Amino acid sequence: MSAYVGRLSAIVRKDLVLELRSRERVASMAAFAVLAGVLFNYSIDTTRVRPQDVAAGLVWMTLVFDGLLGVGRTFHIEAQDGAMQGILTSPTPKDAVYLAKVIANFVLLYSVALLVLGVFALFFALDVSTNLGWVLLVLALGSLGFVALATLFAAISTGTSMAETLLPILVFPLLVPMVVFGVGSTGRLIAGRPFSEVEGNVRMLGAFAVGAVAAGAVLFRYVVEE
Amino acid sequence: MTGIRRGAVALTLLGLAGLVALFWLSFFWVSTEVTQGVVQRIFYVHVPAAWTAFLAIGISALCSAVYLWLRDERLDRAALAAAEGGLVFATIVLTTGPLWGKIAWGTYWTWEPRLTLTLLLWFIFAGYFMVRNATEDPDKGKRFAAVVAIVGALDIPFIHVSVLWFRSLHPQPVVAKVEGPTLPGDMLATLFFGLGTFTLLFFGLFLFRYAVEGLRTRAELRTRTSAA
Repeated sequence: MSAYVGRLSAIVRKDLVLELRSRERVASMAAFAVLAGVLFNYSIDTTRVRPQDVAAGLVWMTLVFDGLLGVGRTFHIEAQDGAMQGILTSPTPKDAVYLAKVIANFVLLYSVALLVLGVFALFFALDVSTNLGWVLLVLALGSLGFVALATLFAAISTGTSMAETLLPILVFPLLVPMVVFGVGSTGRLIAGRPFSEVEGNVRMLGAFAVGAVAAGAVLFRYVVEE
Repeated sequence: MTGIRRGAVALTLLGLAGLVALFWLSFFWVSTEVTQGVVQRIFYVHVPAAWTAFLAIGISALCSAVYLWLRDERLDRAALAAAEGGLVFATIVLTTGPLWGKIAWGTYWTWEPRLTLTLLLWFIFAGYFMVRNATEDPDKGKRFAAVVAIVGALDIPFIHVSVLWFRSLHPQPVVAKVEGPTLPGDMLATLFFGLGTFTLLFFGLFLFRYAVEGLRTRAELRTRTSAA
């Protein structure tokens, strides 16, 4: 068990250190988030629609697109110089490789989610302070569910000739529950409604995340086998 | 192989005969619904096609899961055949639904849960074929497609609940209810006849597709051995 955790955390550490040093993905994702906020501002007629009313949807759509941008490149570095073979021939179980990738991607996406929330709160004058704890929880569950599915399908799309262009086609239909439950709860929490009103949404979001991680951990070995 | 082909011919002929009878029943025999009028008759094609599309993703996911476990090529062929049938029947649902909706709701498309769910199911099937065809190594494509079918089938209940969260315009279920069906006898009979017909037709086409895929594999093997 401790060997399992040790190997898993070695991959997590490797990915996070690489990201910290190169800042390749996190920088582009952060820039994407801020620029998406700017474009959204000009895509809404603010004399007709209050930005606060649609902000939750904008936050989630930014997360989805930004997440694809970052998570799609999960296996990019391994695709070079046969590094994937190295990891797969190491004694690390395949599900540990998957979970490590999910954890590293989660850290990345959740940091970007916090940035998105902060930037959009600033841009669209959102008052997130009333339910901040719950909003952070909802974003965490959503990011986890997203990362769990997207990591599995990133491994698939990397192995095809279509590469990143295939990822949205595979992932978007499956992400509908995450967007429905995520936007449903975030919107009402930002509007200052009590948590009890969105509890069902949050529970479903949690179930979705747990199911996605479990399915990914079981199925990942069939994606990367040689 | 000949047994499968014979079964395919028998089931398909039976299904096609049933289809003719179903059209006769739904155009001439069954009584016209009071509030919706004639347009309601599309229901006897729409609902059976929807049932078949969801049956297809179930079969495809099940065969895919067992394929990943046993690695029997026949299971992959069955999953492929089911997915292709599912794509066809989902297309029928997505055509008949909006046609009915234009008259009954006044609009071709609404974000109605069951319609949305079928559209997403269609895209899951489409993804299945795109993944399959985008790999150089066919075995890899089979594994990838199997994972897509399994995750898609597992996600369907979640999608169903989530799209229901939005208020529904779709007619409420008239058959699968706790207190028993509320549909009049002749309508219920026509619907069940339609369900049977579409299921037969699906399995007929399924077996045909399965046999064709088997022949294709054999032909490929032959060209490879004669080339070597």
